[in-house]
Amino acid sequence: MDPDGLEDAMDLSKDRSQNQGVYIYQPAKSGKAAGERPSKRRKVSSTNMKKDLSESPAFMPLLNGDETPECVQLRFDTYKQLWSDQENKIQNILEDVDAGVLTDVLSFVRETSPQTSDGCIPTGLVTVGSNVSSLSRLLSRLNDQLKSTNEGGVVVLESGDAPNLKTSLKNIIRAAVTNTEGNDGYQRFLTDRSGPRVLGYDLDLLYDYVQRRGTKKLVLALRDSEAFDPALLTDLFSLFKSWLDRIPFTVILGISTSVELFEGRLPRSCVSLLQGQHFEVQEAGNCVDRIYEALQTRADGQIWIGRNITSTLFEKASDYFQTPEAFSRIVKYAFMSHFFANPLSVLLGNPDPSVLPQGRFCEAIRNLPSFQMFCEDLLEAGSANESRNMIQDDKYLLRAAFDHVEAGQQAMRHIFSAVLLIHTCLQHTQATKKTTISDLSVRALAGELGESPLVEDMLATVRTMDSGKLTEVLNTLPNLADDSPLTVIQADLQALLETYADSLPLSSEYNINSSVVKTTVVQQRVLLTKGKANLPTQDIEYTKVVDRLVAALQEYFTETLIRPQDLFMHEAFLFDLRNPLKETFTPRPRFAIERALTSPFDYLISTVETGARISAKQPAGAILYQLYLESGALINVHDLWQAFYGVYESDQGKKVDEREVMALFYGALSDLKMFGMVKNSRKKTDHLAKAAWMGL
Amino acid sequence: MQPTEVVRSLSAQWPCRDLQARQLASLLHPQLPSPPTLVVHGVSATCKSTIVRGVLSTLEAPHAIVRSSECITGRHLLTKILWNTLEAFDQQAEWERFGKGRCEHVSTLVVLLEECLAARPAEKQGKFVLVLDEIDRQREASPTLLSALARLGEIIPSLCVVLILSSTPRPLFLQNAAVPHISFPPYTRKESIDILLASPMPIIEGMPEESTSRIYPHFVATIYDTLIGPTAGSILSFRSICDRLWPRFISPILQGETPPGGNTEWDFTRLLVKNRPLFRHQGESALVHRIVPDNSNADHGPRKPFAPRVAPSALPSLPYFSTLILTSAYVASHTPQRLDTIFFSKFSSSSLSARNKRAHHRRRLKVLSQAQAAEERQQAANGDAASKKGKRSKTRITKSTLSSAFATSSATTSAIGGAAGITGPSTILTARPFPLERLLAIYHAIDPNPPANPIRTGAVADQIYAELATLRRLRLVVPASGHHGGLGSGGTGNTSADAGEKWCVNVSGDWIGELAKGIGVEVGEWLAGGLD
Repeated sequence: MDPDGLEDAMDLSKDRSQNQGVYIYQPAKSGKAAGERPSKRRKVSSTNMKKDLSESPAFMPLLNGDETPECVQLRFDTYKQLWSDQENKIQNILEDVDAGVLTDVLSFVRETSPQTSDGCIPTGLVTVGSNVSSLSRLLSRLNDQLKSTNEGGVVVLESGDAPNLKTSLKNIIRAAVTNTEGNDGYQRFLTDRSGPRVLGYDLDLLYDYVQRRGTKKLVLALRDSEAFDPALLTDLFSLFKSWLDRIPFTVILGISTSVELFEGRLPRSCVSLLQGQHFEVQEAGNCVDRIYEALQTRADGQIWIGRNITSTLFEKASDYFQTPEAFSRIVKYAFMSHFFANPLSVLLGNPDPSVLPQGRFCEAIRNLPSFQMFCEDLLEAGSANESRNMIQDDKYLLRAAFDHVEAGQQAMRHIFSAVLLIHTCLQHTQATKKTTISDLSVRALAGELGESPLVEDMLATVRTMDSGKLTEVLNTLPNLADDSPLTVIQADLQALLETYADSLPLSSEYNINSSVVKTTVVQQRVLLTKGKANLPTQDIEYTKVVDRLVAALQEYFTETLIRPQDLFMHEAFLFDLRNPLKETFTPRPRFAIERALTSPFDYLISTVETGARISAKQPAGAILYQLYLESGALINVHDLWQAFYGVYESDQGKKVDEREVMALFYGALSDLKMFGMVKNSRKKTDHLAKAAWMGL
Repeated sequence: MQPTEVVRSLSAQWPCRDLQARQLASLLHPQLPSPPTLVVHGVSATCKSTIVRGVLSTLEAPHAIVRSSECITGRHLLTKILWNTLEAFDQQAEWERFGKGRCEHVSTLVVLLEECLAARPAEKQGKFVLVLDEIDRQREASPTLLSALARLGEIIPSLCVVLILSSTPRPLFLQNAAVPHISFPPYTRKESIDILLASPMPIIEGMPEESTSRIYPHFVATIYDTLIGPTAGSILSFRSICDRLWPRFISPILQGETPPGGNTEWDFTRLLVKNRPLFRHQGESALVHRIVPDNSNADHGPRKPFAPRVAPSALPSLPYFSTLILTSAYVASHTPQRLDTIFFSKFSSSSLSARNKRAHHRRRLKVLSQAQAAEERQQAANGDAASKKGKRSKTRITKSTLSSAFATSSATTSAIGGAAGITGPSTILTARPFPLERLLAIYHAIDPNPPANPIRTGAVADQIYAELATLRRLRLVVPASGHHGGLGSGGTGNTSADAGEKWCVNVSGDWIGELAKGIGVEVGEWLAGGLD
């Protein structure tokens, strides 16, 4: 080994000041004497800082920095405007989802009192399932309601606020008072009262407050009831019980598992203090579906998220604890990264063509896969001139790009209105399992919906429907356009129904009742043959209408349900990159550490590329880790050291300074220990126990 | 007012406590000398506080009552005592004279109380009674607090301290001889029934009053004998059970059913025979208080008394991934580590011999755990200090290699939700702590949808940690660092505490079994006696 290499290794091990065994203590600042008080940090309002931040452009110029500032600003503005629009919608949906439970809980809080619940504390159990965030929304709205009518307020307590009885009482009292009086009000409340200063956890304070305000309902909500210590809950509730004749407590418990499980964990004495009702909050999945629907299927949509992201989003929503807020955050991130990193997104802001930087921007467009596909299609269609224009004439290209963005957006809107139509139809045709909009959207975004068995089944069911049901379906279908064949068919059907008003309902020939089974005995075998029954004329006419309807639907589906990826310029309005989202929302620290240790040159710049897996060029920690991977559950330290030394020795022969290598070895071993990968074994004194396995 | 008169006025409202009321009235009478300290004790719901209050207010003796259960700390209690005393003399306005309303130690309290009693107006001079309710439940009380409070009366002559305890006092627990004790024993059968019958009978529509008065006393007595007496229930629960069961008991009359045996009228015995299932099925559930009372039973209870007691509990809806992690945690907790290669190794998992081996071990474990459970039961029955020896005691199959796997068990929590824990096959074994790495490995072994290409898909460990944190918040999986049993094996309620190396599952097995079935994992395949 060359001495440089060893020095490099030592250098690498230098920068771990965190876990050094020996170091020279250097006080951070030598200015202060030991006894002097530390200077107080000045409280300066940070408004100046914030201003600076908002003024500087949030987005970077793209296209190698050639983008004009106007474009950057436009991208940013478009993003802002689009997202704030969506955010409002999401907020409305969330509020709408909770509305039902809110009224229930509110009326429960208003109507119950200790007298109505056998002298127990009135308790609302709210099971939220995996929809953890819904409870806090619910509670804040409940609080607003109660405050606005001057009935009382809601005190939210989290398990983190309640390490012991004293602190939780203090927090409860403080929160209850500040809820209506504000922070200063709380201080005044403490100082203004006559009599001696009361301890902060004395419920006398709360009693005073309740009397002063005339509070009728004081709701205490535990957001994550399971995380509370059962003993603490028992203490708290027994205390409330004994104050119940003076302070009108109502308890709301948020439960994520099940009522039985929660009740089973509490001591009986605690359970006997509570009595109340059970409320259920809607599942997160439902909420997420609605948010997604609102995002994608709006009639004036400008940007859509693609198939990959959709499936990632829904996988996350169904497989993990995820709140609707987290869902919308991911969508926001997707929007943001689209506008941040895609220079074409500026087209969504309807820019003045003169603002656009022609050269680079057009070059970017020409590099798009969709552009290349588009040109090939043009060539195949024989319009070579046009494709030449596209390649050579910037202005022509820009105009075409604008047009196609517009047309593409229109096509996307059509796709999703078709999705909505199929969804409404499915509501009627599917008996048991309802397909959600998100399922349909994923297929539609992949361009597979038109031929999917789902739609074929649906059409087959539509064929067999009788007239009553069909009118029902047709009436619920969203209006597509005035002159669409559907409207004509609907009118025809109406006319038909009016003519044969006395023989309703009409059924088509595809209906199972319209076919007859004939039985013939041929050579002692029973043959079943299906044949059509003789249909009355009205049914035959009805069948014609149904046939026309199905044909029209089929035509409509093939027309609209195209692959979005085939659209020219789809990169501008369809965001479908899985990667920044995945990396950001599922970080993988353990994987990264393991990778860094097994192949350090994935991260470090190496001058020498060695073929061997383990080499002395690698940092000592990485070498040791790879040796560690080779050993079993118990590692003899001496063997490990020998192997470690061997790595250096084989690299450099006998010239290695054993003491230096030993130092590296110790350092590396303490690193591994810090990572929690090895620990001392109790079975054998000179052995280490392996505590982490790779690739789990 | 003479003690007898006091008793007379009280017994109308609070019957069957004449003796105690009389004792109290004579001991606390304003004109008679009182002992410096008085202990009133008895189990809960025996009317202690009520009688003491009643006697004091009837005697019109100056007094202050401090509810110890409302005081958070010892200091809080002392402050409250002082404040309530001042309040009794209407001297709140002069609080600054008495230690500025602050009182941090019993010795201060003595001085302040003395001053306070001396300063009271002349017409209120005389005996003052200080009642400390539930003083044995005081939180954060110093060990000397009780005996110190008992001395107050000795030091201050005009003070009489009444200590109300809900536990039976040990001899000389106040370090003081000859303190008079008044015991409030639980109500006897006769007393309980009398009390209940003294209150007005329930009136149900369609029930003739004379048959109510004929049947109801028998009914009350039956309820006492079947449900209240054996479970040492209080008057309160007695009353609520009677109220709840009475309408169902007489439902045959209300619904106009014809009594059996050709009689024209229902009498108590016939109703009882008819309602036998009611006592069997509903009675026990009536004893257990639930936060959400199940009204569904009350509505159509009489129609189908044979219906199961409680509807199967609704399963919580955990997300798919979390369910799988919880399942693996459960399996990890309930499988001895030595058998991991047999149960979870992928190399031979499909071969017949491997399956036979697994089945063999499952049966072995079952036999072993049954023996263990039986032995524990026996020990519990013998009443010797089985718990002191530790949960683990020697079984007869110690020679087997398997039992050494059990030997390492430190028996933390077992099925919390289940009653005794020895109900179903899956709750036989107590849950043992496991290291996280083992959970991860088992996760991979039981994953019902393994990735198609395990080499290329990234590790899931990082995602597991995130979900595990949520599960921990829900206390479904708890870190098992340190040694403690019982309910809150998560230690404090703090979720940010540093995690120990080992974890433990904290829910009952049947529940997880159901959950796991929902995502396509058969827990029984991995557990002792699971599939048999």
